[in-house]
Amino acid sequence: MAVTVVLPRLLADQAGGQKQFELEVPTVGAALRALPVRDLLFDERDELRPLVNVYVEGADIRERGGLEAELEGGETIRVVAAIAGG
Amino acid sequence: MGLAILVGTRKGLFVLRGDEERRSWTVDDPLLAGWDIFHAIRHDGDLYVAANNFVYGATVQRSSDLGKTWERSEGLALPEDSELTLEKTWHVEPGRNGTLWLGGAPGVLFRSEDKGATWAPVRSLIEHPTRERWNPGAGGMCTHSIQIDPEREQTMYVAISAAGVFRSDDGGETWAPKNKGTAADFMPDDPFPEVGQCVHKLLVHPAKPERLWQQNHCGVYRSDDRGENWERLEDNGLPTGFGFPIALHPTDPDVAYVVPNGDGENRVTADGRLGVYKTTDGGQSWKLASKGLPEQAWAVVLRENMAYDSLDPSGVYLGTQSGSVFVSPNEGEEWIEAASQLPPILSVEVAEWQ
Repeated sequence: MAVTVVLPRLLADQAGGQKQFELEVPTVGAALRALPVRDLLFDERDELRPLVNVYVEGADIRERGGLEAELEGGETIRVVAAIAGG
Repeated sequence: MGLAILVGTRKGLFVLRGDEERRSWTVDDPLLAGWDIFHAIRHDGDLYVAANNFVYGATVQRSSDLGKTWERSEGLALPEDSELTLEKTWHVEPGRNGTLWLGGAPGVLFRSEDKGATWAPVRSLIEHPTRERWNPGAGGMCTHSIQIDPEREQTMYVAISAAGVFRSDDGGETWAPKNKGTAADFMPDDPFPEVGQCVHKLLVHPAKPERLWQQNHCGVYRSDDRGENWERLEDNGLPTGFGFPIALHPTDPDVAYVVPNGDGENRVTADGRLGVYKTTDGGQSWKLASKGLPEQAWAVVLRENMAYDSLDPSGVYLGTQSGSVFVSPNEGEEWIEAASQLPPILSVEVAEWQ
């Protein structure tokens, strides 16, 4: 079963205006890497950028196995920019 | 065909469209809202933007439909063995034969042969033997100026803060420091080093390419031999030598404009006013050319915040961190506020616009 990835406005703009993606993927990392904004989520050494927060069903992936966390299908993954800056 | 000012701000790219007299300007809604637009140009009909975001990193983006849709460059990265990572994109400059150049931090240069779809880092600058003597300025160690010699096919320049000016005579394969006579007063043990100068902006005169101008942390300079020697231009009407941008005249190589700051420790305009100073004699003397500019102001004018056009008379363009764009349609005789209350302005460029 597919998972749903929801992007914030700025990333949706960079994805041609698409805010939501339905993906058949086994892990959180695979979901993020399948997006057309992959290069904005990961740096040039393929590390998730430190101010990019990712939540699966409302839980921060840092507390749920990180990018390798497996997905069952049906989950909603939300990408949220860290609250910082001006 | 009209003129537009491409105004890069901390909250997107604003396009100001002007009338024929360059006295009345309309402000369109921002493009790439939410991005720090370090620099934007229009070249061969396309928009190219150095766009950065504190969460999502450094990008170059291109639009072929005047900003309706955008494509990000792919694979913008530094070689893994360099142990450097790209911090910011700073400046896009058209080269010869379709080549585009991109300057970034930390002190890096890229070239593109496919209209900015992909970029290759210039190894010779990454591996420059003097790199260990380069240091970042307050804005990071940025390659902010890229200038192409209009006469010599293989000659080009970059300026990096705080590394200095470098010239290549082989199309970017090798780079030689060109800092003789430019001071690094902040290095008291060696105030005239080979490299390490804090150049803030470098321009080549388009009609007299042996003449270079630079606004430096430590003075305003002119070179008449493609950077081999530099003359410091001071005690000649400028309140201070410290400033960031510099603008030229499209045909008269003796004309330049600068915006002096108080000093390096308080980087606002000098004398509590927004003062543009103009020289018409190659920098031997400077006069205030600020009719119409605020007489009481402590403005911040960054290195990319001046531009000039190639019309007759030439227009001069100025942006501030306070969100104002000023235009002089007549070579500094008077200034008009073209826009105000924009987000903090990082860059201005002038472009043709239909």
